[in-house]
Amino acid sequence: MPHASIVVPAFNAAATLSDTLTSLSSQTYRDFEIIVVDDGSTDTTATIARRHAHSDPRIKLVQQINRGLAGARNTGIAHSLGAVVGFCDADDLWLPEKLATHVAHLDGAPDVGISYSGSNMIDVKGKPIGHAQRPRLRNVTSAHVFKRNPIGNGSAPVIRRAALQALAWCPATETRRDWVFDETFRQSEDIECWLRLCVSTDWIIEGVPGLLTEYRVNDNGLSANTTAQLASWERMVEKLRPFDPVFFDEHTPAAKAYQLRYLARRAISGGDGETANTFLTSAFGSSTAPLREEPLRTLTTWVAAKLTYRFGTAPLRIVRNLLLSTKSA
Amino acid sequence: MTYLPTITHLIDDTTPGGVTRVLEHIRTCKIMAKTAIHNVVAVPKNSALPAVQGDIIVSHRTINWRILPGLIAFRARHSITPLIHVEHSYTAGFTSLNVENKPRFFTLLRTAYALFDNVIAVSTAQGRWMEQRNLVSKETLAIIPSVVDLTSFEHLPAPTGTPRVIGAIGRLHAQKGFDVLIAAFKEMRGSDLRLKVFGTGPEEDALKAAAKNDSRIQFCGHAETPELAMSQVDLVAMPSRWEAFGLVALEANAAGRPLVCADRDGLRDSAGSSATFVAGHATAAWRDALTAAVSHEPVFAHRHPIAAVETFAQSWENLISGHLFKSAPSALTLQN
Repeated sequence: MPHASIVVPAFNAAATLSDTLTSLSSQTYRDFEIIVVDDGSTDTTATIARRHAHSDPRIKLVQQINRGLAGARNTGIAHSLGAVVGFCDADDLWLPEKLATHVAHLDGAPDVGISYSGSNMIDVKGKPIGHAQRPRLRNVTSAHVFKRNPIGNGSAPVIRRAALQALAWCPATETRRDWVFDETFRQSEDIECWLRLCVSTDWIIEGVPGLLTEYRVNDNGLSANTTAQLASWERMVEKLRPFDPVFFDEHTPAAKAYQLRYLARRAISGGDGETANTFLTSAFGSSTAPLREEPLRTLTTWVAAKLTYRFGTAPLRIVRNLLLSTKSA
Repeated sequence: MTYLPTITHLIDDTTPGGVTRVLEHIRTCKIMAKTAIHNVVAVPKNSALPAVQGDIIVSHRTINWRILPGLIAFRARHSITPLIHVEHSYTAGFTSLNVENKPRFFTLLRTAYALFDNVIAVSTAQGRWMEQRNLVSKETLAIIPSVVDLTSFEHLPAPTGTPRVIGAIGRLHAQKGFDVLIAAFKEMRGSDLRLKVFGTGPEEDALKAAAKNDSRIQFCGHAETPELAMSQVDLVAMPSRWEAFGLVALEANAAGRPLVCADRDGLRDSAGSSATFVAGHATAAWRDALTAAVSHEPVFAHRHPIAAVETFAQSWENLISGHLFKSAPSALTLQN
């Protein structure tokens, strides 16, 4: 039985899956299995997974009718055997030492349920875009998770099986297997899961240094679904509030402000200055916490929103190119 | 005449509730009195402990950083007396909702528990949590599920027909999760349904405000006896956010009342296999579980066997004799 499992949810991921699987097969830690969950793809996702399974027998393919990201991850968990389970979306990459680092971390810290790391962001072609997620790594409280989601993205965490078991439940409508991620969410399914871990179990969430994931940002349609995203974030709060009403009363305004700031940044990336401005105005209406706690980032977002509103995507492109050229210099 | 060892139990929480009732049971249980004299001594909260007599001393106090120095001094003064701690407060559920700095909290518990010869978990779930968090060594940990005398509950007539009156029994504190229950009940249809809330506590006003527009919800205050509360309900709901053991579940079983309870901590043990377990505290999940529970007659007439009281006494006797005779095994032979 492998010590680790890596679950790869894949939906129409033919363009990127091969790179993802190559990065996983190249892990320096060797004792693992990879479970690719083909979530009802209509492209060659399954063929690519089979081809990789041929050269790396640790790769297994599971196919299902489309159930969404949460449903694919749950199926992957149900098929996995490892004592620790990592997740890597089919368009992201793991650096070779990622699994080894998390396995060592979890071995040495028995109270830690989720181990994560920072991520470098890459574009469609796999090139770094000059941004990274460098989250807080230690002394992570429930409030941090709610406000800043240090885990960052769905390809960052490696989770102890006991913690997954503590999260699992079987809804009345489900006949096949347990849920760990809530499949009624098509967005905010990550944060819903991490925050539920915080308010319903005593597992610790802790990060390790290094940018061990390459997280792909896709420029298309970044701002298109931001309103739906806000709605699902609010539904997540509504769902988890009864676990600890006092906690949510205290932290929801600040967390919402951060969420709105995040959505504003996405709108800016998508060139939608107007939406970005609206989100920022609501953010400051909800709480001034982002301004007090992270003044630089918040002000940058504010300036970028104003510039995008007036001049479109040009200012952002200039700044990005400038950033990239100074980094490569 | 046989020599009976004296067991001194220390408590610092004498408010009505589970701990007090379990201690009262220990003090008055006739089976336990056959093999030891159990004394209960109330000690002040959060201050140094007096020197105490007893062949074995059992602490039922709540551990925190403030009492730790006093606990160390107490250990020093009773260096050869077996000391036992019974953990009535802390669980995984408690930790998730009340502890911001978890590593610090686990260190507190590991440090405090290390001062005792035995640490007793009051439910299997709590014991497993202590093991998983490595709070106590395997040899030191003992699991003795709490118990009270249930005879009077067993004598209550069982409810008939489909359950109409849902009961919430306990302190009106966020721990008990009655806010979840009220929100769920308000979404349930049925003009003949009732929700009776027994107890007082800090959340009383908030709960009454939440229940305001639903005349089917009644606040009955603190019931004179727990049996009186139980006799007035057909079904018991326990949406607790954490619960080291959950005596009300035991009582509901003894009284033949079906149970709908949170899938948390000690309730997994005390509620028994016939209970309906609800994952999480979402209003919809509770509404659906309760609606299902009141839509048919309870299929079981399972009453908790009285053996629980005997098992409890036996576990304590084993623990006591293990300590008092371990240095002189011949004593055991002599008694036999």
